[in-house]
Amino acid sequence: MKNAIALLGQPNSGKSTVYNALTGSRQHVGNWPGKTVEKNDGYYTYKGTRYTVTDLPGSYGLSGNSDEEIITADFIKAGQADLTCILVDASQLERSMYMVAEFAAMDKPAVLLLNMMDVAKAQKKEIDHKLLEQRLGIPVLPFTAAESKGYDALKDLLASELENPHKLASAPELPEGSDVHGESEAKYRWIQSVLAGVTHSEQKKFELSKRDRRLLSPILGKFACFGTILVGFLVAMIICFPLMGIGSMIPQLLNVPIADLLNGWNVHPWLVSIFSIILPNTLYFCIAMAGFVFGVNLVFGYLEEIGFLARAAYQFDSLLSGLGLQGKAICPILMGFGCTIGGTCGTRVMDNWGQRMLAMAVVWAVPCASIWTIIPVISSMFFTPWQTMLVILGILLYVVLLMTIVSKVFGRTLSPESTRSGMIMELPPYHKPHWKHIAKEALLKAWDIFKRALRTVTLISLLFWAFSYSGSGNVADSLLYKVGTAIEPVTRVFGLGWRTFMGFLSSAFAKEAVLGVLNAVFVGEGTVLDATFRSAFNVATDNAVLGQAMSDVVSKAEALAFMCACTFNIPCVMALSTTFRESHSLKWTARIAAFYVCGALILSCIVYHIAALFL
Amino acid sequence: MKLTDTKQDQYGRIKRIGGDTHFMNRITAIGVTEGTEFQTVRNDKRMPVLVYLRETLIAVNRSDAERIEVEIR
Repeated sequence: MKNAIALLGQPNSGKSTVYNALTGSRQHVGNWPGKTVEKNDGYYTYKGTRYTVTDLPGSYGLSGNSDEEIITADFIKAGQADLTCILVDASQLERSMYMVAEFAAMDKPAVLLLNMMDVAKAQKKEIDHKLLEQRLGIPVLPFTAAESKGYDALKDLLASELENPHKLASAPELPEGSDVHGESEAKYRWIQSVLAGVTHSEQKKFELSKRDRRLLSPILGKFACFGTILVGFLVAMIICFPLMGIGSMIPQLLNVPIADLLNGWNVHPWLVSIFSIILPNTLYFCIAMAGFVFGVNLVFGYLEEIGFLARAAYQFDSLLSGLGLQGKAICPILMGFGCTIGGTCGTRVMDNWGQRMLAMAVVWAVPCASIWTIIPVISSMFFTPWQTMLVILGILLYVVLLMTIVSKVFGRTLSPESTRSGMIMELPPYHKPHWKHIAKEALLKAWDIFKRALRTVTLISLLFWAFSYSGSGNVADSLLYKVGTAIEPVTRVFGLGWRTFMGFLSSAFAKEAVLGVLNAVFVGEGTVLDATFRSAFNVATDNAVLGQAMSDVVSKAEALAFMCACTFNIPCVMALSTTFRESHSLKWTARIAAFYVCGALILSCIVYHIAALFL
Repeated sequence: MKLTDTKQDQYGRIKRIGGDTHFMNRITAIGVTEGTEFQTVRNDKRMPVLVYLRETLIAVNRSDAERIEVEIR
């Protein structure tokens, strides 16, 4: 490959910011061969030449502590990049130069980016980058990644270095046969000799800022973090609301015209229902999803950039390490109460794939906002308000239990004790947010999710459509009914009749669909198909009528079992597809999905048989 | 003494880091090495230990912090 540039840097070095700014939307996300680690590469064109950029995964070094570090080290060693652009944090030069010390052993062409010059300047740190350049023998560019003005200089530098590359002039001398300590000491000694006179750093007494004294205190801080995330979540919802509103109009606007048009052409009703119902709804789902991802990324991008997320991770680390996770997982988990998709995306902050996959599995256990709109409705059809509150309390308690079970079941493989890394992280100083950059990243992510989701959601929608399609519009003519009634003896074991079982199936599609589907199968109004796909904008369900119809056929024990089964089923098709997209592992997504379906049925079975004794 | 035994605003030097290679690589890469001067910024019960070293505020979870031996200045 010609003109291949690799980006290398520690977390918080601003590596992904540079990557996104260089490549924009010309990115490709894939897997490293044989690994579940995400491979990000993209390209940009500058002055008529095309350059490819690879965002190298990794953490603080290249010593092979994780799959990510091994991949990165191998990539550089194999010479797959013509030039490596190393990023360091100018405000913490000595510490972040460790990556350069690790890289030195590779003996490959490189340039050094002194990122976060704005922060270093604000801290009144002076850096003699010319002297550093002389010592290192490679070009050194002072930079602020979040500001767009420096990029032309960067691109010019990269272009000229690809023509005329430089390698590091010196490398740490590693004493022979030394252990990790000997080597790291040698590396830091080398860093200090390189930095002597370049920057002046002294160990001063460190004082926590007033804000940090509050935010990092054991009790008050937890409430503050919790509150901030909650507010952040509300703001995200407010931001995405208009976009979701526009999205929800699509099926309404397109439904009838498309159906009329196709009927006019005498197209087979099958195709009519696919084009007029499934596709507009898929579009709506995907827009709603993208809107949500945009809102969440905007708010949490902001919280991350100013340095809040690191504080929240510190607060909840001990609590989460009990689950085989670490502090950083707190955000995705809390976001899960709003939307599982948001929570799943939020696991990006975890730096180890196994723990990240485990975090996604745990996030699935958190009941999302949609569940809280259906459970009280169904519960109130069978139970008094007091009992309904007990039901909700029971669900919340089970959430905690289920999280523990999930971490026990999957933790051993995904995050085995030996690779389980406790939280060792820096708490960066508070930064001023660069809004333009945050918004751009959020848009990129939303667009990315939209593109990816379209395919998966369409496929699964078609599958569900095939099952629920009925030529006459009568439920009894659908495949779903035939299969449902045929296996009723089996579903009865789990406490579910064929009708509630259908509701259970639809809860894996989208929680919003549950009430509509119940209406279709109990009251006989509307088809299951319509109910599932149109429920989002057409909640014409008369709960009183549905309640009457349901309580005639369904016992209290079955209702209770049904609510548990729905709540802890697969969150929804979109969450499923996001998990697959984020984890790059079909195997694990399928495993976790199977676990949740089985788990929900087993729970339903237990609840039904116990409740049947008392109710 | 262990890093977990230090008190707020105590200064010291890292004496010895125990544990497997994986852990040692991780902790040295972030800047904690034998001989590094540090300041304990916060050390609350059941919370990671907050230390300041190499111009960086670093949180180390408690079980890992137990493996770090220090001497107080």
